[in-house]
Amino acid sequence: MPATDPDIYIDPEHHDGTSDATPGGEQTQRRPGELVFAAIMLIASLALLWSAYGIAGFDALSSPGAIPMATTLAMVITAGIILFKTAKLPLDHSETVVRDILPPVVLVFAGLLIAYGILLRPLGFLPTSALFLIAAIKLLARRGWGWTIGVSLGSLITIWLIFRIVFSVLMPSGVVPEAEFIQFFRNMINGGAG
Amino acid sequence: MQAFLDIMTIFTQPQLLLLVGLGTFAGVYVGAIPGLSVTMAVSILISFTFSWDVYPALSLMIGIYMGGVYGGSRTAILLNIPGAPSAIATALDGYPLAQRGEAGTAIGVTTVMSFIGGFIGIGVLALAAPFVSDFALTFQPRDYMLLAVLGILLVGSLSQGSLVKGIFAGALGIAIGAVGRDPLTFDERFTFGLPIMENGISFIAVMIGMFGVSEALLQLHHVNKDAVRQKIDKIVPSFATVKKHLPLSLQTSSIGVLIGALPGTGGDIAALMAYDHAKRVTKNPERPFGTGAIEGLVAPETANNAAVGGAFIPMMTLGIPGDAVTAIMIGALFIHGLNPGPMLMIEQPHMFWFIVGALITANFFMLIFGLTGIRLFTKIVEMPRSVLIPLIMLLSIVGAYAVNNAITDVYWMLGFGLFGYFMRHYGYPLGPVILGVILSRLLDDNWRRAIISEREDLGLFFQGILTSPLSLVLFIAVILIFVSQTPIWHKGKARLLGGKAA
Amino acid sequence: MKRMVFGALGALALSVTAAVAEYPEKEIQGIIQWGAGGSTDTVMRSVTPHAEDVLGGKVVLQNITGGVGAIALNQVAGAKADGYTLLMGAENPLLYKVLGLGKKDYSDFIPINVLARGTAILVASPDAPFDDYAGMMEHIKANPGAVRFGSTGPGGLPSVITAMIESVEGGLDVIKVPYDGDGPALTALQGGAIDVMPAVLGASIEFIRAGSMKPLAVFDTEANKNLPDAPTITSFNAGYEAHLPWGPFFGVFVPNGTPDDVVAKLTEAYKVGAENADFIELMDGRGFTMMNISGAEAQDFLTNWQQGTAWLLQDAGLTKASPEEFGIARPAE
Repeated sequence: MPATDPDIYIDPEHHDGTSDATPGGEQTQRRPGELVFAAIMLIASLALLWSAYGIAGFDALSSPGAIPMATTLAMVITAGIILFKTAKLPLDHSETVVRDILPPVVLVFAGLLIAYGILLRPLGFLPTSALFLIAAIKLLARRGWGWTIGVSLGSLITIWLIFRIVFSVLMPSGVVPEAEFIQFFRNMINGGAG
Repeated sequence: MQAFLDIMTIFTQPQLLLLVGLGTFAGVYVGAIPGLSVTMAVSILISFTFSWDVYPALSLMIGIYMGGVYGGSRTAILLNIPGAPSAIATALDGYPLAQRGEAGTAIGVTTVMSFIGGFIGIGVLALAAPFVSDFALTFQPRDYMLLAVLGILLVGSLSQGSLVKGIFAGALGIAIGAVGRDPLTFDERFTFGLPIMENGISFIAVMIGMFGVSEALLQLHHVNKDAVRQKIDKIVPSFATVKKHLPLSLQTSSIGVLIGALPGTGGDIAALMAYDHAKRVTKNPERPFGTGAIEGLVAPETANNAAVGGAFIPMMTLGIPGDAVTAIMIGALFIHGLNPGPMLMIEQPHMFWFIVGALITANFFMLIFGLTGIRLFTKIVEMPRSVLIPLIMLLSIVGAYAVNNAITDVYWMLGFGLFGYFMRHYGYPLGPVILGVILSRLLDDNWRRAIISEREDLGLFFQGILTSPLSLVLFIAVILIFVSQTPIWHKGKARLLGGKAA
Repeated sequence: MKRMVFGALGALALSVTAAVAEYPEKEIQGIIQWGAGGSTDTVMRSVTPHAEDVLGGKVVLQNITGGVGAIALNQVAGAKADGYTLLMGAENPLLYKVLGLGKKDYSDFIPINVLARGTAILVASPDAPFDDYAGMMEHIKANPGAVRFGSTGPGGLPSVITAMIESVEGGLDVIKVPYDGDGPALTALQGGAIDVMPAVLGASIEFIRAGSMKPLAVFDTEANKNLPDAPTITSFNAGYEAHLPWGPFFGVFVPNGTPDDVVAKLTEAYKVGAENADFIELMDGRGFTMMNISGAEAQDFLTNWQQGTAWLLQDAGLTKASPEEFGIARPAE
């Protein structure tokens, strides 16, 4: 059983699980917040099972609800076992939520990402991304504004060129008249060639 | 002889050779960026190459395809973010190697193994295409369902930590795959009456969120730690290494070709199945799986590149796509005035051999581009984390949006990124979630087809399994693998071998 | 090259007012309702470059899939009606309302061009114990509930064809095995997972030529020139004449409220684009019947199509809401 494999590599520094192959959980202790997470998982699984039952009930073996019901049932059972096992483990007193699970920097970044999601449509891809990159890099690197803005805009333009020009991925343009801008350059090139 | 001349067509025309090379080069980078997919690149090329002749257009597409399947491994190894679904298994052992500063070795092995896998795929395509496609056609809905069950049992190999948590994650993945309007009946599932849920959750968005954003968030824990210096002086693996892994690579390539040739399954499932196979048959890896086992790179990388040749098999012999990319290529052949179908190989054999030739060329280019330019890629990892982390996040956002031009996918991606972050902290493996999402429809659709075909009769369903040799083999495999994962098996084995196996 | 085309269209340009003389002044977004590699995708990607030449602008094509095409339709319906967002769709939206899949359909759009129409055909695996439609019906009567038909969900071509058979023959006792498109279903037919599949002629023509499927009946009033030997359905039962010709179609649309001159320019572009010899050859090869209609003619076509099909599905009990609720009149007999 993998669970008892003694060779599992766990980052000694607060088991942060930097690789998916070595999840950050502890084998013998309960990390702060783990019990709450397990409880939420059980509640969510129960809600999904109820929702799956609502698709078609016990209508037929071939109903669109059959597999969803089977899998959500499996989720409920395993979530229950996990919750039970987690509750039995002793709490790891060397860790705290603020230091090891959700340090301020992670919260700030989660906030930045959510702000990005909210602003993307009204403001458009280019301004939102520029703001995000500048804020994020400034926050992490703590270097001068010139450097921060230069690096941010440089990489943003590269990404934009690849996705927008080469792959025609039309991100929401928002307040920037992107299409007119591109047409201007296209006309210029066409004009030059013709 | 004619066949040989047709294969050589490509080498006699520098322009075609150049296009294959260009395509392969672009493919490596397209594959490496999560969210840019080969499928996307090839469908854009349809418009782009609209006015071209068919050979140059195909050359470019084949190059991108071959390079792209390989390219996904780059970011999987260096950043723990698979560039494409078929590289998920590669991250499991590739990233631990990069953490030890051995990314160069990992990339070297990956490249050479992809090359070998690619060749086996092409070889089977060239020599046994009609035979393999006939076999692939015999898969009935119940066989696909059994294949999906077999895939789901891989959860055991992908959950290092806790098996129960792995099963939970796998079941969650299957449920995520079912969200939205059911593609068969259009009934709403897990939508909670919200229009935003109707479209379902893009599997790429889940993958990018769980692997990209959650990885970036975790990296925030040690922004100021110096990046691991990568040794890149010795990249090409020694002949002894290649020779040692040749038997395994032959087996995993066979898995790749077959899964690739089956319509409806592709390189992603092939790579995961191959990884599982390697874990099963490798008795004494130098390092345990999940901590940088070379076998853990060999298996998925040979399999996903072998699946490229495999996917062309039903396309060339029957006009049936083996995966999403070949589906678009069939569309491209139409646009160029050809009629892909069972008659194509009979009426235009030179087209078949030209594609074989282009694939061979692309495979060589992949080897060349794979073994060079590594310095640039490792530079990316050695970039200060304070710049790298925001860039990964931005790329994840754009990538999630690009899949279906939907802002909803961006929200899903961010949501799963945060969720994945907690999952990693509390020891829930992420691999099984993705596995569940990939297999969800294969399992669900085919279960329903199978049971509807038997008029809802479980008795007839099992009778069908027991009377068809193919179903029976798959069924026995499911039982054996299942039993081998239960504690009873280990106890029994331990007793038989006098405790050595435990 | 572009300039030459412009010159040829000079007469047209003169009639356009100065305000929009420059349309398109930026690139146009073309949203394809179905995924890359599908029929709609192939048709749109092959006609659009020809239309671009006439238009003198760029149309960036994007596939937005999901919700049986409703996601794309709603997105275009919600975009500005300025001619910079086009919907490239198939027939499905006309059934959204009755199937409960959405509240909008093509009545919220102006048709720029209905490009072509497909023909339905009933194909069977070569091992099936019948060789034509009459034989199949006899076999089904002798073995009720045993023959496996492929289907592609409510509103898909197979559901309309089986509804037609039920309506004309008074019943069809078969197992309907669901697939997520005619491609996978035709693959399953060759593997023996299903026995009969109502498919679009273009998707099955190569398989019929190769002998890996046999045609039972073409759902049209006259033989198809690509398959002259396949019998028409009306030769077995004249009762089908009331429902034919019927077939899935492809069209380009803009939201209601788009300025008339923009509509005129787009209409002209796609009309000329669809007359391109390469495009016509491609469509012929795939077994599609060219229509290339626009304006009132296209509007009438859409109305008739919707009336006929919606009521056919209503009578077969496949709808979630009656066509009457949406003011879709029952076609005159």
